[in-house]
Amino acid sequence: MGLTLNVPAGEVFGLLGHNGAGKTTTVNLLTTLLEPSSGDATINGHSVTADAAGVRRSIGYLPENVQFYDDLTLLENLRFFARLSGLRRPDARIRDVLSFLDFEGHDNQKIGMFSKGMRQRVGIAQAVLHEPAVLFLDEPTSGLDPEGVRTLRETIVRLNREFGMTVFMNTHLLSEVTKTCTSIGILNHGALVHHDSLANTLAAFPAEDSLEDIYFRLDVTSPS
Amino acid sequence: MTTLLTSARHEVLCILRAGVALLLLAVFLCMVSLSSVIGWITNTTVTRVYEKVLTDGLTTAPNPFTAVSPLYYARNSVIYVVLIGALLAIVLGVQSTLRDRKSTTSDLVLSRPVNTISRLAGTLVGLGVVIAAVLLLSTVISWGSISIIVGAPLGPDPSLRLAVFAALSWALMMIFALLGMLTGLHSRKETTALLVPFVVWSAVTFVLPQIGANARPVALLNPVPALITTGTNSFDLVGAITGPFAITEQFKRAAGIALQDESLTGSPTASIVLLGAFLMAMTWIVLATSRRQLRSGLNE
Repeated sequence: MGLTLNVPAGEVFGLLGHNGAGKTTTVNLLTTLLEPSSGDATINGHSVTADAAGVRRSIGYLPENVQFYDDLTLLENLRFFARLSGLRRPDARIRDVLSFLDFEGHDNQKIGMFSKGMRQRVGIAQAVLHEPAVLFLDEPTSGLDPEGVRTLRETIVRLNREFGMTVFMNTHLLSEVTKTCTSIGILNHGALVHHDSLANTLAAFPAEDSLEDIYFRLDVTSPS
Repeated sequence: MTTLLTSARHEVLCILRAGVALLLLAVFLCMVSLSSVIGWITNTTVTRVYEKVLTDGLTTAPNPFTAVSPLYYARNSVIYVVLIGALLAIVLGVQSTLRDRKSTTSDLVLSRPVNTISRLAGTLVGLGVVIAAVLLLSTVISWGSISIIVGAPLGPDPSLRLAVFAALSWALMMIFALLGMLTGLHSRKETTALLVPFVVWSAVTFVLPQIGANARPVALLNPVPALITTGTNSFDLVGAITGPFAITEQFKRAAGIALQDESLTGSPTASIVLLGAFLMAMTWIVLATSRRQLRSGLNE
């Protein structure tokens, strides 16, 4: 099934859909982790098929349930990912990012000792170290407690507002989308059934009380 | 180049932090040290008996150790490399490639501007550096122990021979490390990733020499190669086919000649060429691994 989608620079875009709708596959294609069988996509001016390296230089990626090298410390993990992203002397940048995330004082602790919420912040840190133009987040709030969800939400909004980072976020938490995203797309069984700004979406369905009601109005259902 | 160096450095760091790998390294170094200690005990015991016999006027023959090459004391190290060194290399190799698949960090790595060949080559370089460091340390221990036993620092020729032995050991261990990397990349389960190279290792070390030379299994635990001419047509034929694949025996032959084992004659060139060919072939196979395979998960 095809998918045609345009997310302007500077947006916080939320891709919604039921389990198995194709959200993670879409992100995997856009981050070049999967090769498309047909078609193409352009990220920050780079084609995922013709210039995958250019795409990878432009993006940061936080997968669902992010994992690290548990035997290594926070600093060692971040140095590794920063160097892979082309940062030659990454320590100053790492300190800036950890300070931005209010996550200082854990540099020499092994990541294996970190909680889910802490790992998620490290996940954000590794994704933005190289100051990417576009940040891809796959179910970023998955498994987080309410405090972790709030912290992550505030971080995403700050990254977008303070650094102009475009954010492409997969989620099925509709409440988070309302608080974070500027535009949304709804996937249903691999097809995009809705795509508009959040404001327009809410205005287009005045009879519905919430995004959740709109979501079900659009008949987005999980495969039985 | 950045990816290669970063991956190499990362691999060294991960190995140093992994408990199992460090334990195996310690065992290997202990065994190499023990090899010299065993040689020293043998020398001391035989010399003491010889002096007693000489004092009693029961012999006029020279001390059997007088004519022995000082490298005699390092000879047991050959079998330690084949047994412990190869297994250590397999474990390190499997861990190096399974690590990313197991913890799904491969997605974090591959979403960056990383070339697959550079990434794998970097991992391989990291493994090579660790194995080289272990062998350097064991060679220094051997050199020091032998110098103490013979009562003088080893001269240039035996020192060079020890270095050649270390280089051959590195080649053999890297072949098994590459085998481990390969199964770590392609196995669907962690247990299979470890089991398959162990089975291959035991087949190469014990089965191939047996069917090719009618060697007794116990004889294969000797540092002397079992690839002998049997004079039996069937074994000569099978031996000619399986011999090149019995790389541990090829290693034993080349290493034995390097360590001046008087039971071995001829040139080690063919054995060295075979080891080099296996090393290059395995490297090529590992570096040809696709991006898709690098990020494939485990069925566990």
